[in-house]
Amino acid sequence: MLDRHHGWNVSYKPAILGFIFSLILIAAMYRFAIHHHLSGVAFSWAIFGLGTTTALVQLVFFLHVGMESKPHWNVITFAFTVLVIAIVIGGSIWIMNNLDYNLMPMSH
Amino acid sequence: MFGRLTIEAFQHDMIEYMADVSMLLGAVLVIGLLTYLKRWKWLWTEWLTTVDHKKIGIMYIIFSTLMLLKGLVDAAMMRAQQMMAVGQSMGYLEPDHYQQIFTAHGVTMIFFVGMGYMFGIINYMLPLQIGARDVAFPYLNNLSFWLFVSGGLFIITSLVIGEYAGTGWSCYPPLSGIKYNPGVGVDYWLWSVQISGAGTMLSGINFLVTILKMRCPGMTLMKMPVFVWSVLATVILVIFAFPILTATAAMLTTDRLLDTKIFTEDFGGSPMMYINLFWAWGHPEVYILILPAFGIFSEVVPVFSQKRLFGYTSMVWAILAITFLAFVVWLHHFFTMGAGANVNAFFGIMTMIIALPTGVKVFNWLFTMFRGKIKFTTPMYWFLGFVVTFTLGGMAGVLMAIPGADFQVHNSLFLIAHFHFVIIGGVVFGFFAGYSYWFPKIFGFTLNEKLGKYAFWFWLIGFLMAFTPLYLLGFMGATRRLDHYNVPGWQPLFIVAGIGAALVLVGVGFQMLQLLVSIKDRKQNADLTGDPWNGRNLEWSTSSPPPFYNFAFTPHVHSRDPFWVAKKGKQIEEKRAYHPLHMPKNTGTGFYIGALSFVFGFALVWYMFWLALLSAVGMVAFSLARLFEKEHEYYVPAAEVAKIEMGRSE
Amino acid sequence: MKLAKINAQEGYPDTHHDLHSKTVFGFWVYLVTDFVLFGTFFATFAVLHNNTYGGPGAAQLFKLPFALVQTLLLLTAAFVSGLGGAAAHRKHKGATIAFFALTMVLGIVFMGMELNEFSRLIKAGHGWEKSAFLSIFFTLVGTHGIHVLFAILWVIALLIPVIKEGITAESLRRLTCLRMFWQFLNIIWVFIFTFVYFMGDY
Repeated sequence: MLDRHHGWNVSYKPAILGFIFSLILIAAMYRFAIHHHLSGVAFSWAIFGLGTTTALVQLVFFLHVGMESKPHWNVITFAFTVLVIAIVIGGSIWIMNNLDYNLMPMSH
Repeated sequence: MFGRLTIEAFQHDMIEYMADVSMLLGAVLVIGLLTYLKRWKWLWTEWLTTVDHKKIGIMYIIFSTLMLLKGLVDAAMMRAQQMMAVGQSMGYLEPDHYQQIFTAHGVTMIFFVGMGYMFGIINYMLPLQIGARDVAFPYLNNLSFWLFVSGGLFIITSLVIGEYAGTGWSCYPPLSGIKYNPGVGVDYWLWSVQISGAGTMLSGINFLVTILKMRCPGMTLMKMPVFVWSVLATVILVIFAFPILTATAAMLTTDRLLDTKIFTEDFGGSPMMYINLFWAWGHPEVYILILPAFGIFSEVVPVFSQKRLFGYTSMVWAILAITFLAFVVWLHHFFTMGAGANVNAFFGIMTMIIALPTGVKVFNWLFTMFRGKIKFTTPMYWFLGFVVTFTLGGMAGVLMAIPGADFQVHNSLFLIAHFHFVIIGGVVFGFFAGYSYWFPKIFGFTLNEKLGKYAFWFWLIGFLMAFTPLYLLGFMGATRRLDHYNVPGWQPLFIVAGIGAALVLVGVGFQMLQLLVSIKDRKQNADLTGDPWNGRNLEWSTSSPPPFYNFAFTPHVHSRDPFWVAKKGKQIEEKRAYHPLHMPKNTGTGFYIGALSFVFGFALVWYMFWLALLSAVGMVAFSLARLFEKEHEYYVPAAEVAKIEMGRSE
Repeated sequence: MKLAKINAQEGYPDTHHDLHSKTVFGFWVYLVTDFVLFGTFFATFAVLHNNTYGGPGAAQLFKLPFALVQTLLLLTAAFVSGLGGAAAHRKHKGATIAFFALTMVLGIVFMGMELNEFSRLIKAGHGWEKSAFLSIFFTLVGTHGIHVLFAILWVIALLIPVIKEGITAESLRRLTCLRMFWQFLNIIWVFIFTFVYFMGDY
């Protein structure tokens, strides 16, 4: 009964590793934000990339996504979650930005 | 202490008083009967506190039927108004009242009839079809039901105390915001949707875990009945779409209660964002309604064609395609809101594409019938009625998928005709097919076929008469939600529609008569074998009705249509020793939390904040009590199982 | 136990493992719905975050060092709850109680900081009713905060039986769900500090 999942649940290692990796990533994000190494779009992408990586690290090392035995329902449901959220957020941004399309130019 | 609740809340017009009195009389009748027959304890221990999925399914269907009757009265009132309110005549309903009727009609039919009926059938049949003894979380199942009822009661209560929303069932801001609708109507809408939505989400989680974790040995995904696949798709949609509604309704609630500026037209808010989010939920919702109905047809058609379902694999892929595509079409509900051609084109194309897997399914059902030995039973009639109506409605939908065309017919009666054709033709006819197909299994005797067919014809002809004119009226420029119009040329069509509605009500009358006659004749029509139709799936291997534990021994399956295969193979049941069965205990906690949820919502509607806090604390307290409860389960002794199973043999 | 033998003959999975697996997966699915709930709030934030109605935006209002401390607090809470989960699997009653109690304390400090920030904003005239941006900020971050509150109460509710009876199959199941909940809240917070605090003025 000691499949990978049970191993991951019993050992302290995954939590510790996840903690250390997260600290590094968060420190990096903080440095970028405070010291303004980058700006504009590059900054956004850097922060977004670091943030998403942090979340991913925590999904794997804390929440053990992907580490259960087959079938990997956790991963499948989570992949679908990411997809739906991407559609709702991305779609909403696209749609709502586009609503100005038919507006007459306004003088502000 | 009573917030904004005053005596005015109880004052209504004559028609509402009549509704209130008739509901009160109905309630008094039921209470009187229960008291006279001394059945209060029975009601509590056998039904209200049950965690048996079968009984919960029956309760969903009973509650949804009551809501259907209310929704039909709303419909009849609208038809009557529109038959007469032309030119000088203003009809018999005040505009304000009419607005509440069409709003309540929509919410009632979509949430509490469509979803209720489908979830009722799913509750009953899902565990049986996968060879399980119950759903994954029986207590949660009970709780979900009471949250559902609590949600429905807001609509009923608004008829007696206060008023309902007059915004349409979609409740768009800014009209539904605190500035333009400071009264209680929209708040009733919010809590009925929010609380029943919580129940629905819990059911979605429950059924998903049931399907993925509790299938009997041998039942791989590709051996599941197609009905189970359609339930799987439905709950995937529930799980991913309902939270969007929860969040959106929550933001409208904070706008109204806490003065946030999310959907306001000033302070930087965006009412259009509400519309966007509402339909991001709303479109998956319509697939949540229809997919179980498709699943029901996938059960009915093979059995009454006496031929296995054509194209199992393509059916599964079609269901999965619909599930995914359901999330990328939602803008077609607001093509006219102002997004540019690119956005409209994308969503228009996606909408047209989603018609394809649906078409695959319809063809597969027809190919199943081809060269089959068709038995024209009542369920089969409902299926054939579905093919006609749903296809017509679907084609109207594809027409509106073209943004340019939609600009002409958006929010016209053409739209109303479209969705009634697909919802009634699909969801309602699907439920009736399932009801007449599975009734013998659930209650142990068959329904009167003749009356069932009369009901069908009145429903079909009545429905076509009631809604076909609406397609024409839509093209002629009639918009939705009109309590009065000035074009005399429209009136004959509204009159035809009104007559059609009356015929539907006759059909409903026949269904009620059918039930009464069938109950009267139940001894002659008892289903003694458990398999009156020569069925194919596992539910038919149990007695009618099934024992409370469903299966004494968990089935082991090796193929699709496992019961059919077992019958053909004439498997000899080896004599096995019965053993104790682990079953969940009944509990009142779900009922109490549900009741408190109603008090909570009611308190917030009327600004009785102390009461809202108290009931919230109460809900938490009961949840904690459940957490600290020791024994949630018990063992059914082997001897009792043996007695029930032996009693089954002839 | 005799029942386990009968179950084995029948080909049933072991009841306790089965229930554990069902419950934990069921809780995961609940977390999925919570992800989508927050996703909707994030979508609204994405659309409305520039609608400050002439008032201040993220860059003016949020103090990054403060947000960093909050982030580290919650991260540590999630980490410690993970340790607690592992301790529970090993049936170490004392360690389990200590870890989850620490999680709760860190959560309380986190909430204290959040309430502090909220009242600072409100007192300075930047309440949620002032603009759509402020509304969605308070809604998104406030919803997260309400979840943390529930997580704190849940620690108390779960530790009581553990203190009284030690770690049973039932409490292990529930502690696993609790651990998942804290870690889920931490992930949501990662997105909050990424998009609201760090990228706020985009």
